[in-house]
Amino acid sequence: MNLQLMHAKGIINFLKQPKIFVFAMAWMMMLVLLGTLAQKDLGLYAAQNKYFSAWVTWFWFFPMPGGRLTLIVILINLSFFFFNKSIWRIKKLGIVILHMGGILLLVGGGLTAMFSSEGNMVIEEGAQSNHVEDYHFMELAIINTSASNFDEFTIFDQALLKRNQILKHANLNFEIEILNYLDNCEPAKRTSPAGIQHKGMLKNFILNELRPEKEDNWNRPGLIYKISNSGSSADGMYGIFLGQPVSQTLSINGKDYTLILRRKRTYLPFSIELLDFKKTLHPGTDIPKSYSSDINLIENGVVRKILIQMNEPLRHKGYTFFQSSFIEGPDSETTVLAVVKNYGRLFPYISSIIMCIGLLFHLSQKLPDLFRKSREKIAA
Amino acid sequence: MKFYSLTLVFFLSIGGILLPRDFDHQDIPIHENGRIKPLDTFVRNQLLLIYGKRSIKPKALPDDVNSNGLSAIDWFFDIALNPDDGDKYRVFNINNPEVVASLGLNWDPSHLYNRAEVLSGLKNHFDYISNIHGLPEEELSQFDSQLLKVYRNVSQYQALSYSLSCLLPSIQIHDKTIAQSLSVNPGDKLSYYQIMRKANQLSPLMERLLNQDKEEWSESDFELQHIMGILNEINQDKFARILKIIPPESGNQDEEWQSPWELMESRMIGLNQEKLLITLESFLRSRIDKNTDKSNSFLAKYENLLSNPFNGLFNVTNIKLETWTNKANLFYKSIALYILAFLLLVISWMSKPILLRRISFACLLGGLAFHSYGILLRIIIMSRPPVSTLYESIIFVSLIGVICASLLEYSRKDGMGIFMGTIVGAALHFVGLGYANDGDTLGMLVAVLNSNFWLATHVTTITIGYGTSLFAGVLGHVYLLQAIRTPFDKKYLKTVNSNVFGATLFALFFTLFGTILGGIWADQSWGRFWGWDPKENGALLIVMWQIMMLHLRITGLVKPMGFALGMILNNILVILAWFGVNLLGVGLHSYGFATGIAINISLFIAFELITGFGTYYWAKNRHKQFTAV
Repeated sequence: MNLQLMHAKGIINFLKQPKIFVFAMAWMMMLVLLGTLAQKDLGLYAAQNKYFSAWVTWFWFFPMPGGRLTLIVILINLSFFFFNKSIWRIKKLGIVILHMGGILLLVGGGLTAMFSSEGNMVIEEGAQSNHVEDYHFMELAIINTSASNFDEFTIFDQALLKRNQILKHANLNFEIEILNYLDNCEPAKRTSPAGIQHKGMLKNFILNELRPEKEDNWNRPGLIYKISNSGSSADGMYGIFLGQPVSQTLSINGKDYTLILRRKRTYLPFSIELLDFKKTLHPGTDIPKSYSSDINLIENGVVRKILIQMNEPLRHKGYTFFQSSFIEGPDSETTVLAVVKNYGRLFPYISSIIMCIGLLFHLSQKLPDLFRKSREKIAA
Repeated sequence: MKFYSLTLVFFLSIGGILLPRDFDHQDIPIHENGRIKPLDTFVRNQLLLIYGKRSIKPKALPDDVNSNGLSAIDWFFDIALNPDDGDKYRVFNINNPEVVASLGLNWDPSHLYNRAEVLSGLKNHFDYISNIHGLPEEELSQFDSQLLKVYRNVSQYQALSYSLSCLLPSIQIHDKTIAQSLSVNPGDKLSYYQIMRKANQLSPLMERLLNQDKEEWSESDFELQHIMGILNEINQDKFARILKIIPPESGNQDEEWQSPWELMESRMIGLNQEKLLITLESFLRSRIDKNTDKSNSFLAKYENLLSNPFNGLFNVTNIKLETWTNKANLFYKSIALYILAFLLLVISWMSKPILLRRISFACLLGGLAFHSYGILLRIIIMSRPPVSTLYESIIFVSLIGVICASLLEYSRKDGMGIFMGTIVGAALHFVGLGYANDGDTLGMLVAVLNSNFWLATHVTTITIGYGTSLFAGVLGHVYLLQAIRTPFDKKYLKTVNSNVFGATLFALFFTLFGTILGGIWADQSWGRFWGWDPKENGALLIVMWQIMMLHLRITGLVKPMGFALGMILNNILVILAWFGVNLLGVGLHSYGFATGIAINISLFIAFELITGFGTYYWAKNRHKQFTAV
C-alpha cells in the first residue's frame, strides 16, 4: 500500500467519525436554541442572519461556527458515513436509505439557502403589477426622463450602496458618492440653517438614524449622497429615503433625472391584475375564515382568471404566489402576495419519502426485536 | 367480572347515541362564536362563565328547593320563562374579598351571591365602571378586572333572562272589543310578538284613542292605553340579544343568525323565520302550562321547520350528538378508570399480583375506550381531525401515551405499562380539564389552520410525536428507578433498556415526519419550507436531540443510564416546544396562548432536572456498589 492511499484512508477515517456528527449536532442545537431566544430581542431576520445562515457566529469577540458551517460539517460527515464497510448489509439497508435521505434534505436546504428568492407583490384592486419587490434589499433607481417616448433606467444594487462607494455609469453624466447608508431612519425638520452644500430635500430636512426594527420590513432605509463632476450647479449633498413622497429630480446639462430609493425589483415575464380581494369572517365573530384574491394572469396578451387563497397558491413559470396579507383602504382593498422562486423546493418532498421508507424499514426490523426480548424474559 | 360489566357499560353508552332520540329543547341550535351548537352547550358555557361550573350545585339553589342540583338547561329555561324571578339563584361567584366588600355584600364562605344583591351593590359603581370599561387589560388592577367581570356576568345574566321575553304570554286582554279586534277571547294572554303581529288590527282602535279627549275614553280605551304601556315596558328588554337561535332567511352560511329581539327590532322577519318564532312561542307557552305532550309536539314541529329550508346550515344529528356528549362526560369516566387502574396496580404489588394486575389492565383499557370514544365524537361533531387547538392536543397526547403504554403492557405483562399509562393518562387529563374550564373547547379556527388535510397529516403526526416522545421519557424514568431498585438484575434492566431505545426510535419516526410535513405545509401555504419560526425550531430541537441521543447510544458514547437520562431531558424539550414557544410571543404559531403557564412549565422543568439527574447519580452509585461486591 502506498503512502498516499494510507494518507487518504486516514482522512476518511477521521471524517467519518460519528463523534464529529454528535458534536456538530449538539452545537447546532445550541445555535437553534440561542437563535430562537434571540428572536424576542433581535427579530426573526436579524437572528436568522446571526445564527442560522451565518458561516461564523460571533459571541462577543469569539468566532464560532455559524449554522451554515455546522450544517456543512454535518453534511460532509454524513457523506463519509458511506465509507463504513459494515453498513453494506441487508440488515442495515434501512439505515443506509435513511442517511441518504438526510443528505438529500441537507443538499436541498443548501440549494434553497443559496438560490431561492422571495418578495412581495402589492396590487390594488383594479391595478396590475409585473414585478416583485424584495423583502430586504433596496436599490437606487436613476431614471432619465429627457426623452419624450421612453425612460432610461439605471439601477444600482444594495451591494453598491455602501459608505464611500462611488457610483458611475455611461448613462450618467455625473458621479454619485455614497456618504452614508442608514438601515433605518426618519426625516425630521431642520432646526439649524442648511449649509450651502445641502441640496434637495436636505435643505429643509435632516435624516435621523434610528435603531433597526425587529421586523426588517418595518425599517425605512435612507441614503446620504454627493453628486459631483456634473459640471453644473447640481453638485452637492443630497438625501433620499424609502417611500419618499416627493422624488428628487435633477436637471444636469439638459438631461432630466429622477432618483428613487426603492425595494429591489425583479421583473416577471407576465403581469397580474387584481380583480377583487375578499376577506370572510366566521359569522358573528372576528375570526377570519378565509382570504382570497381574484386575479387575472396576463401573459403575451392572453388573460387567465385565477383565484389565489390561503393554502392554495398560484404556481407559474417557477414562481409561486401566495395570499400573504392585505391592506384595507377607504375605497378599495390591496392584496399582498408573497412571491417565491425556489429551485430546491422538491428536495424536502423527495428526501422525506426516502427517509420515511428507510426508517420504516429499520423500525420493522428492529422494533419486534426490542420488544420481544422482554417477552422472552417473562417466558424464561 | 369487572371487565365484563365495564364492557357492558361501554357498549350501553355507545348504544345511547345509536338509538334514535327525539329532538329536545336542549338541541335547539344556536349560533355562537362562528359555530352552530346545541342550546345545551351554549347555556353550559354561559353558566361556566358566571358560576364557574357547568351545572348548578345545591348550594346555589334557593333554600326551599331540596334537590341535588340543576342542569344548566333547566336553569336557563327557568330564568328565561320567569325573567323577573331570577333572583333566587345564588350563581354569582365572587371570591375577591375586596370586591365583595365594595359591593356592600356580606362575606359568604361559598362566595355565592344572587342577582339582586349584585345589582344593588353595583349601583354605586356605575360611574367607576364606565371609566375603566374599555381600558387595556394591563392598565387594570386586580380589583378593577374582578369588578368588571362581575359587571359583565350580571349583564350576561340579564341578557339571558330577558332573551325570550318578547315571546312570553305576559299581556292579558280583558276587554271584549280589543279581544275581538285581535280575534282572541277575553282573558287570553298574549305575547309582545303576538300583538306586534296583529298591530294592524289594532290601528282603528288606536286612531280613535288618539283623536279623543281623555274624558271621553271608554273602558276599552283605558285598557288599550294600559296595553301600550306594557308593550313599551317589554320593549325595554331589547338589549337581550345574545340568544342567536333564528337562522338567516336566506340559508346562507356566511350570514349571521339572529336573536328573537334582534328580529323584533329589525322588523324584517322572513316567512320561515316567522314560522320558527311562532312555533317557539307556542312551545314556551305549553312549557309554562306544563303540558308535556303539547310542548313535545311543538318541538317536533320546530325540528321539522329547521330541517326543511335550513338543512344546508347544520346537521341535526351532530347537534343531538353534541348534547349527548355534553352529558356523557366521557373524559371524567376515563380519568376515573385510569385512577382505579393505578390503585389496583398498587394493591397488586401487595397481594394477588396476577389477578389484580389483569383487572387493572382491563380498567386501563376501559379508560382508553372512553377516552378514544370521546375524541372520536369530537371529530364527528366538528368534522375535522382530532387536533386543532391546544386543549385537543393535550387530550390527544394523553391518548397516545396510554396507547403506547397499553402496547408495552401487552408485550411485557408485568404492570410496567399500566403504571406508565395511568400516570400519563390521568396527569394529562387533569391538565386538559384546566384548559376546558376556560370555556367552549370546540372553537373555530383562523384561516391558515382551516385545512383539514394538513391538520390531519402534519398536526396529528407531530402530536403523536409529542406523545411517543413523552412516553419514551417516562420509560427513561422507569429504567432509572428499576436500576436503583434492582441493580443486580442485569437481564431485566437490559429488556427495559431496549424498550427505551425502541420507544425513542418510534418517537423519532413521528417527530421527524411531523416536522418535515410541517415544512411541506409551510411550503404550500407560505412558500418557504423552513422559516426558523420558534415552533418549528422547537420541533427541530426535539428531532435533533433524539437523533443525537440515538447516535450517542449506538456508538457507545453513552451507556444505558445516560441514554435514559437523555430521554428524560427530552421531555423538557417536548414541553418547551409544545407550550413554551407561545411564551416568546413571536412567530406564526403563537395562537394557542395561555397565561400563567410559565410557572407550570418551570415547575415541570425543575422536576425533570431534579428527578432525572438525582435518579441518574443514585442509579450509578448503586451500580458501583454491586459491581464492587
